Amino acid sequence: MNPLVISAHTLTSATGTGRQANADALRKGNSGLRACDLESVRLDTHIGRVAGVEGIALKDRLAPFQCRNHQLAELGLRQDGFIQAVEAARARYGAGRIAILMGTSTSGIAATEQAYHRRDPATGELPPDYDYQHTQNMFSLADFVATRLELRGPAMVTSTACSSSAKVFADAERFIAAGLCDAAVVGGVDSLCGMTLHGFNALQLVAPGPCRPLHAERAGISIGEAAGFFLLEKADSGAAGPRLIGYGESSDAHHMSAPHPEGLGAARAMEQALQRARLPAEGIDYVLMHATATPANDRSEARALVHLFGADSRATGTKGLTGHTLGAAGAVGVAQALASLERGFVPATAGLDQPDPELQLDARMTAEERDIRHVLVNAFGFGGNNCSLLLEAA
Amino acid sequence: MKVDIAAVGLLGPGFDDFASARPVLAGHEAYVRAPAKIPPTSLLPANERRRTTDTIRLALKVAEEATADCDRSQLRSVFASSSGDMDIIDRICDALTQPEPMVSPMQFHNSVHNAPAGNWSIATGNPAPATALSGFDATLVAGLLEAATLLQADGGKVLLAAYDVASMATFRRVRPITEPFAVGLLLAPAGDGRPTLEMALGESGDPTPCRQDALEALRGTNPAARALPLLEVLARGEGGHVTLAAPLGRSLEIRVTP
Repeated sequence: MNPLVISAHTLTSATGTGRQANADALRKGNSGLRACDLESVRLDTHIGRVAGVEGIALKDRLAPFQCRNHQLAELGLRQDGFIQAVEAARARYGAGRIAILMGTSTSGIAATEQAYHRRDPATGELPPDYDYQHTQNMFSLADFVATRLELRGPAMVTSTACSSSAKVFADAERFIAAGLCDAAVVGGVDSLCGMTLHGFNALQLVAPGPCRPLHAERAGISIGEAAGFFLLEKADSGAAGPRLIGYGESSDAHHMSAPHPEGLGAARAMEQALQRARLPAEGIDYVLMHATATPANDRSEARALVHLFGADSRATGTKGLTGHTLGAAGAVGVAQALASLERGFVPATAGLDQPDPELQLDARMTAEERDIRHVLVNAFGFGGNNCSLLLEAA
Repeated sequence: MKVDIAAVGLLGPGFDDFASARPVLAGHEAYVRAPAKIPPTSLLPANERRRTTDTIRLALKVAEEATADCDRSQLRSVFASSSGDMDIIDRICDALTQPEPMVSPMQFHNSVHNAPAGNWSIATGNPAPATALSGFDATLVAGLLEAATLLQADGGKVLLAAYDVASMATFRRVRPITEPFAVGLLLAPAGDGRPTLEMALGESGDPTPCRQDALEALRGTNPAARALPLLEVLARGEGGHVTLAAPLGRSLEIRVTP
């Protein structure tokens, strides 16, 4: 594939607002998880909640979009000079030549949950101020980002559960290669809501304490929220930065909510990413795993890694820091990988004081300082939907 | 971008499949409105079939029809829906208003936008990538662009299924999708004697209306029914030009050659 330059990016998660705070937490292994303190959800679990989301007010042309997901998106967009970078790109390419490709799993469903609490007791009607199109509809995230950044390129929201915001990188490569646009703003946003917390709880996939990926006694996920955005440009555009050099996508064709036990789909996605990049497995410094911390997910993904890279390959799982941010997980993983490429370290796997020997991985509780050239980032979702992205240092 | 249409699937009020709808779409027979009948999917084993919803069955019906004559084992697919499974969203949001919320695990895993895509890959034992997307009222065009760029990148055939169920009572005012509708298009590389679509994004432009008034009334009832003007051209077997609404107020200009 033609590599794409990531010329600007930003991340906001439970471990911090903006790149610096997230990179620091990633290096020190400082977790952003805390006991669930959402007003609307009473569950005995830990969450990765972003500070300051509720204080964001969306005004004027953004006012119809007001909901937790777009408040979080707005908070994220304001960091790291991202808006200014897109403005410069818009001046260079034109608003119609920059695609807006976003990933989310539940969009602004918290707005619908609140509206249901305020239904007319007699008729069941939703309240008149509830705006479905600009909050809960799946497309509203791309609509919001396009409106906020004044872009008019090809736009869509990819929603394939927890691989959503990884797949948009592959979409961007194809859209640019097809000549539909010259550059793309891609990213992912998912926010805490009753549906996912209660839903994963019903599936008995939620850990009571902070999640512990790759741990011998891992007991399930902690749900988090995050917003990550990236500006992608062609390699021959003169833009500088780290590069996306490969992607792979596959389906498990196995089960709606359980991974393939041998990690076949995961292995296929990683293999394809290596092939597109024309890089051998030995060229990968480490894999930033999906590693949600459920017993089955981590086992399945570890088997895929052992199949491709052999036993004891270098790997890390970062959801003990941010929680599992679902549709934003791909964006979080890519931003974390970029921090590691830029600053030269393998991120810590938070809480890993007892690695699961069955997994046959070299994952460590503390960060390892060394130069990094290539990272593979995994994001897998319900429906057996897999995506793997290969990133290269600038 | 140039792609061929190798096969079409269709389900909607008064339409059971593309072959039987063709004389109506071509204007040779009158359109007779009748409630859409969403059949069970034959591709899934009985156990899995019981777990499907109307949204999954609707999507799989047109996917199955459009791929009846092709090898499904490595086929890439795009599932495009404005709203996803609103019936499930309704039930879960309702459950969340209870003092002790109980969400059904099966409803939760079927609530993801890619539930039809996941069921399709399981039903066809197909490890190729399957994606799911939305473009609100312009979902059909978002799906066409995604499918065409997938085809352009790696060749082969690509399935596009665009579908939405009708909104249930609670959502009827805020999201008036009044009929279930689905269309399946099997895209293939251009140049094999099949109808060809030459597509380009336009700045803006009014969508082409249906030639027939009865179909024009149907076009606005569902984002997937925005395909009707294109289906009319394909059914007539002639060339033509169709403008469809693209996301963010843009347009997709399509030149059809038979």
